[in-house]
Amino acid sequence: MRRALTVTLVLALMAGFGFGVNRFIASKKHTIPGESSVFIPTATRPKIVLPGTLYLAQNGDIYRLSDGFFTDLHLSTSKGLWMQPAYVPNTQDIVAVLRAAEYSDLYLLNGQGQILQQLSNNANPHLNMVYLNHWMFYPHMVPGSGTIYFSYDQPKDSATYAVDFSVWSGTLGGKLAATQVSDSNPFTGGDVDPSPMAGGAVIYSKFAIGSGNAYSQIAVQTKPQGKPILLTTPAQDCGQPAPSPDGTRIAMICIGGTGLQSTRLEVATLHAGKLGPPQTLVNNCLCADPEWAPDGSGLVYYDPADATGHFELWWIAGALGAAPAPPLQVTTNLDFDATSPPSWSPLTTVPVMAR
Amino acid sequence: MRHHHVRRTRIALGFLIAFGFVLSGAIGALAYFMPAIVTALQDTGHAIDRNLPTTTASASASPGSSPSASASAQPVEAPPGAPFTVLLLGSDNDAKFSGTVLTQSMILARVNPTTKVVVMESIPRDMWVPLSTGGMAKIDAAYEHGGASAAVATVEEDFDIHIDHYAWIGLLGLVNLINQVGGIDVVATNPVMDDFYPADLTGRDPYAYERVAVLPGPQHMNGMQALMYVRSRHGDLRSDFGRSQRQQQVLLALRAKAKLLGIANLPDIATAMGNDFSTDMTISEIASLLPIASNIQLQNVRQVILASPYTSTGERDNEDVLLPDWNLILPETHLYFPAV
Repeated sequence: MRRALTVTLVLALMAGFGFGVNRFIASKKHTIPGESSVFIPTATRPKIVLPGTLYLAQNGDIYRLSDGFFTDLHLSTSKGLWMQPAYVPNTQDIVAVLRAAEYSDLYLLNGQGQILQQLSNNANPHLNMVYLNHWMFYPHMVPGSGTIYFSYDQPKDSATYAVDFSVWSGTLGGKLAATQVSDSNPFTGGDVDPSPMAGGAVIYSKFAIGSGNAYSQIAVQTKPQGKPILLTTPAQDCGQPAPSPDGTRIAMICIGGTGLQSTRLEVATLHAGKLGPPQTLVNNCLCADPEWAPDGSGLVYYDPADATGHFELWWIAGALGAAPAPPLQVTTNLDFDATSPPSWSPLTTVPVMAR
Repeated sequence: MRHHHVRRTRIALGFLIAFGFVLSGAIGALAYFMPAIVTALQDTGHAIDRNLPTTTASASASPGSSPSASASAQPVEAPPGAPFTVLLLGSDNDAKFSGTVLTQSMILARVNPTTKVVVMESIPRDMWVPLSTGGMAKIDAAYEHGGASAAVATVEEDFDIHIDHYAWIGLLGLVNLINQVGGIDVVATNPVMDDFYPADLTGRDPYAYERVAVLPGPQHMNGMQALMYVRSRHGDLRSDFGRSQRQQQVLLALRAKAKLLGIANLPDIATAMGNDFSTDMTISEIASLLPIASNIQLQNVRQVILASPYTSTGERDNEDVLLPDWNLILPETHLYFPAV
């Protein structure tokens, strides 16, 4: 009896040892955080309180960051993913993109995330003619007016492979796609990221292809479908322009010379329709989507904090000056949509969530 | 005498128990690595058949064929630490293309473990070349006619180089691999727009189309998004060349993620790849590549795309093809890939 117990105990120990070896090896596995390991913004607090209200997109939902607190707009993702919020000046409303599998539409939402109006109808019901669907992205409102700029994949022939974005403008209360502002280069992807400037001009990223490479240039359109003013060279490969509130500087993302594996965040003065020498604020990063604080006290942008590739919000104070502060990581363990530029309203809103 | 017997019995028992523990530990480790072992047995060590019948005599007589096309050289294995060449193949492998698998991607990679320099040369899929199995066709058909061995032999003969190894990955394998490493970070070069992207992996009609719009700039992509980025070509002025550039870009992004992995991640990777991967390399050769990949700096990676003037558009057999200018291609290729 005693011998049987001893044998059983030894066998159990051996089995336990084998299991332990198995688990020991498993413990050496390098964990790569997936989407599920990312927090929702409302479960976190930013490191600093930024002025005004920022609208940001993560995982198909839109969040508001105001007074140091995130508020979830709780948008339904049953029809698609929400992205690219754009605040409507002097209101708590936003225009945002609802992206479905094969089309995207613009919606007007109030501060509680309720849909006030579907601004476009780009879905085509014929499943076998997917090319009759349309994309609209990058909405941006003009302060002091109801004018809206956005990128739209019109005009296109239904039988062509040429699907390129052009910049369009319209009004919230009137016709949305009223005026085609830019003429895109065919088979390049086209013109994206429009931002209004003083005097009715619009600045945007204009894509082109030359010498076998695709590149972007910062372009300014002063009249619809006129010849654009190109502010950067093909070699610089700069895009995602963000004019400062006083209109004296442009923040932009440049790729030239990086081997397409990283970017630079640069700021250049804008004077008499020309950019001055760019100042690199952040080098060798995956920086994206710079946006100036409405009071000009600095700018935010997205960049992963580590190799997991989850894009966090960063802040550079004094970016308008000659000696900006070093970048400060504002959020942790979030994963913002880097294809959704943040929108920054000067108004401070009261967080909905209880503190 | 009895005392001696008892002592021997105890020693034997001790050895038996120790052996039991070692065996148990080995079984525990074996169970952990089982998916990787199964993959190693199924998908690796597929030797290149270098005795395929070739028809280079007729091929070299054809217009536009490689001036130096010759019988595939017998392999001379690169000694440890010496530079070696890998042909990376990517292709459809779903039911829609059952029996007619083409390679959508062919990338020659030259790796120098000593200098840690890597050169990647994309071969356009529409390049009109003599196939090792006979006749002229687009180079993407080489795989269809004789699998990896024919693809390797065709590239060896047409480019007059020696290929040490190949690695093939199917579309779903790429998607699953990228998902397994938690996605990749890519700086999308431009808006990638396509209204005629094949909807063959999304479970609807495999012959249907879907719309793709990859927005430009830095972003985190999951496997399916990355596949759209590297596979789409209709909306790009450069057609296949734009796609080739994006494929190289995604390979480099994957390399960045590979740095985060260790040997304990192999079973998960193997499970994710499933049957969508094959290579002639052994599992130990693959394992030896991991530290090399993680030590290569981006500035030491050279990318070659055979766009104009290396190739020009043309028509053969009622197909739009790319006609190679071998007088330009071979000297450029032999700068990085030694001529045989």
